[in-house]
Amino acid sequence: MVKAEDEVIRKRQRARARVMALLLGAFVVLLFFITIAKTGMNW
Amino acid sequence: MPTLELSNPAALPADWRDFVALTKPRVMSLVVFTGLCGLLVAPVELPLVLGFTAILCIALGAGACGALNQWYEADLDAKMRRTANRPLPAGRMDRQSALHFGVGLGSFSVLLMGLATNWLAALMLLASILFYVLVYTVWLKPRTAQNIVIGGAAGAFPPLIGWVAATGDVSVLPLLLFAIIFLWTPPHFWALSLFVRSDYAAAGIPMLPVVAGFESTRRQIFLYSLPMAAAAVAPWLLGLSGEIYGVSAAVLSFVFLVLAARVAGNRATEPEGMDSEKHLFAYSVFYLFALFTVLVADRFLPW
Repeated sequence: MVKAEDEVIRKRQRARARVMALLLGAFVVLLFFITIAKTGMNW
Repeated sequence: MPTLELSNPAALPADWRDFVALTKPRVMSLVVFTGLCGLLVAPVELPLVLGFTAILCIALGAGACGALNQWYEADLDAKMRRTANRPLPAGRMDRQSALHFGVGLGSFSVLLMGLATNWLAALMLLASILFYVLVYTVWLKPRTAQNIVIGGAAGAFPPLIGWVAATGDVSVLPLLLFAIIFLWTPPHFWALSLFVRSDYAAAGIPMLPVVAGFESTRRQIFLYSLPMAAAAVAPWLLGLSGEIYGVSAAVLSFVFLVLAARVAGNRATEPEGMDSEKHLFAYSVFYLFALFTVLVADRFLPW
């Protein structure tokens, strides 16, 4: 039973880690384009 | 989703979908839309990525409000049928996670707004988050039947923030957009609260129908619809928008007033007899979408 519980918890943690990684990747890409845009505007 | 009974449910981390649910995505859609319209009608063209970021920040700020609202009201949500299945009252998430998520998301949205657009827009975003959480959720909502009237200001910020993100300053048109949503909020929410009155009563929230009764609420709905309609046509009357917007706003507002008058004339006290309230509630959502869509179309289309 404990093993099954562990498996459920690990599965949930993996799913959250994947979503977090995707969001961080998207944030890096967004920051890159924000920097390009602001450089272009000469702010 | 596993249905395994855990010996210690607290050890199970909340599902990422529950964090999404915490942000109230349906409410967010209206906020994003009005913020986008504020940004689009501004007389300054922002680079696409900065415009996108401004809207993203408004959405994240709204999500933070939703999360902090659900963190604070978890006990109340558990008492209402409409909200009992939210992540916190349903026991799928612990309160501390919701608090950390809300504060983190709100701080992130304000900082990103400031860095990507300007700090006045960031300050307004911060003010709207604090107003919604502290003034509306914590202070007004559990204490006064006027909670929706004053609290409506929080939901009226997005077009103003969108405008300021683009221009860096405030002028008459975004203030009118603020006024339209501010005056639209009471009839919109009171129409809903009439047919879910028992839910609010069970949770002890002093919504107007619970405190002042049906007749007074229906009269207030109609009375608030009048200045709302005036604010809706004001951009045209002040020469800040074209005729397409003016005529559309007049027609849309007239229908709103007719539906509000039908609500004012209704005497039903059970949800089954409240078709006019349900119609007004549904129409009020369409009304706001249509009004802002026409405003943007009026700015961009060459007629």
